[in-house]
Amino acid sequence: MSDETTDVLDAAPEAVVETSKADDIHPAARPFLFLGKESVKRNFIWFPLLGMIICIILGVFHPQAKALPIEKYIPGSWAIYGFIAYSLIVLSANSLFKFLGRDEDYYGEGGLPDPEYSTDPMITGEAHHD
Amino acid sequence: MIEQLPILAEINPGLWVILAGLLCTLLPIGHARKAFVIAAPLFAGFLIFKLHGLDAGAHFGGRMNFGGIELTTLRIDNLSVVWGYLFCLAGIINGIYALHEKCRMTDSSALIYTGAAIAGVLSGDMITLFIMWELTAISSVFLIWKGGDHAYAAGVRYLAIHVFSGVMLLAGAVMHAQANGGDFMFNHIGLDSPGGWLMLLAMGIKVGFPGLHMWMQDAYPKASITGTVILASFTTKFAVYALARGFAGTEILIWIGAIMTCFPVFFAVVENDLRRVLAYSLNNQLGFMVCGIGIGTSLALNGVVGQVFVHVIFKGLLFMSIGAVMYRTGTAKASELGGLFRSMPYTTIFCLIGAASIAAVPLFAAFVTKAMILAAAVYEHHTLAFLMMLFASAGVMEHSGIKVPHFTFFAHDSGRRVKEAPWNMLAAMSVAAFFCIYLAWPVGGFQNLYALMPFEMDKPYKPYTVDHVVFQMQLLFAAIFAFTLLKRFKLYPAERRAEILDADWTYRKMGLGLATWSSAMWDLLAAQMNRLRKQCLSLVGRRLYQTFSPAGAASEAAPSGLAAVLTAGLLFIVLLVAYFAR
Repeated sequence: MSDETTDVLDAAPEAVVETSKADDIHPAARPFLFLGKESVKRNFIWFPLLGMIICIILGVFHPQAKALPIEKYIPGSWAIYGFIAYSLIVLSANSLFKFLGRDEDYYGEGGLPDPEYSTDPMITGEAHHD
Repeated sequence: MIEQLPILAEINPGLWVILAGLLCTLLPIGHARKAFVIAAPLFAGFLIFKLHGLDAGAHFGGRMNFGGIELTTLRIDNLSVVWGYLFCLAGIINGIYALHEKCRMTDSSALIYTGAAIAGVLSGDMITLFIMWELTAISSVFLIWKGGDHAYAAGVRYLAIHVFSGVMLLAGAVMHAQANGGDFMFNHIGLDSPGGWLMLLAMGIKVGFPGLHMWMQDAYPKASITGTVILASFTTKFAVYALARGFAGTEILIWIGAIMTCFPVFFAVVENDLRRVLAYSLNNQLGFMVCGIGIGTSLALNGVVGQVFVHVIFKGLLFMSIGAVMYRTGTAKASELGGLFRSMPYTTIFCLIGAASIAAVPLFAAFVTKAMILAAAVYEHHTLAFLMMLFASAGVMEHSGIKVPHFTFFAHDSGRRVKEAPWNMLAAMSVAAFFCIYLAWPVGGFQNLYALMPFEMDKPYKPYTVDHVVFQMQLLFAAIFAFTLLKRFKLYPAERRAEILDADWTYRKMGLGLATWSSAMWDLLAAQMNRLRKQCLSLVGRRLYQTFSPAGAASEAAPSGLAAVLTAGLLFIVLLVAYFAR
């Protein structure tokens, strides 16, 4: 067996997985694979920020026909309200989880359907979502 | 057709669907059953269309006298016809979605359930309404039980709660009819009588009022994949119809609805199971409808009608897309999913269309309907309710607009490489996606939806104004920006597997614990009482023996003959008492 072949076999497990992943991608999804890139994910933040700023400016020139009194004096009132509301909901999650979260089999009925295999961070030891 | 067969004008179209369901229970050929599953709601929809055109205003039929009560089993007017069309459309879409599932129980119970919902909204009297109310519960529980062993207890709870709701509806209906001279027609009920309160409570259970809602989040995620999609279409919307018919303009509903829009968003954000997230989302959307019914103006009620129509379609689409994911991956847990757009691109697109529709993005379904309810709240000076609904709109963006599609199809790549959804699921989703866009399309689209709205308005509502689009986009962009910002600073909580406690804890844990404790206490008490009774009897027997036996105290002081005389005297007194007491 040549050295070159040995090198290939040594690298095999990872390479096989990578090849298999690439081959299993749906043809219609290939043009959109860039969505999974780190740089795209990182820079996505500019899209809603820009959109929000444009809409706030447009809102100054096109005020609501039937606005609440407070909305007349605060430009971008819905954007501010939406941002605060969304942040409040999400930031309350950790406290709520501590208060309401229990083991999956808390009621002794087997919980909800279980997956075939798990990528749960509790099992893999790494955060599932970036 | 109606002219040749006039009897068709007297039979509630929902009954044909129920009949098809009953036939399916006996039909062993899968393809024939599937033909029924799609053809029966199609036929019912055709009949509704024909019957609605028969009479100007409203078509009444199927009048009969039952035990002295005048029943009107069929009423197709401008309000009920919308629900009739909608349920038929949902029945067809659900039928296509379930084509791959060769299960006699699913086919027959889905048809009976769909038929009962159609017959219920087209019923003219409260007795028929009650019968269909119960039939929807009894027929749909099989869809939950098809979810597997873990769904059995949830199904029993679902059945018990809904049957109880039906019993309350009947009791309320009887009391209301008694207060109105024996009239059982189902028209405006109001809260003037105790019967009205009972009926409101019964409808509140079915529509998921705060604190009465947990059957939904308990049962829906445990049903079979197709079962959840079917369940999400009918039960709660049937109750919304009943509320719109019986309690339009009832002010308490504004506050109940406003709370309903807000509280589920907090549960949805911590919930890991995406089907349960969607069940909370369903609850939240129902809140908008209940609030609109409470406001009760033409604009609000038309908004409710429109919102119900599009909601069944886009919520069905979201449930269908997550169902397809579950079908392929075996799970609907956010902690197990991610990156599926690589292998399920079409399902991803459909899910995104559903998400955009529920979040009221311009050009997507809810944009043209939810705004009517919000506008009605502003016009009627319900500022707090309006602000609560606006808050909930940001919440909708969180759980259904971002969380569901993001953690399923994007986010971290879970490494799962699965097949795209089966063709029939894709077909059903594409029909629903088409309606999500078509019914909000600015030219020749939303006008068709508005044409279905039953109430006359002073001036027509225009959804596509610059200010509406701009301010709605402000809200949505701000929510997405907040999401990306929180993710950037790692403040967005990771999805974790857990059971999140909700109101059902009161009966599943506390109630069960209380019942178990009471039972144990009762057993202890019974044992104690038994011991006490034995002690008493033993004591009395011993005393009697000590007194009256030949060696007893009575024999000591006097001759034994005296004891015999005393005993005979006592017997005589007993006989006398018995004689006069006769």
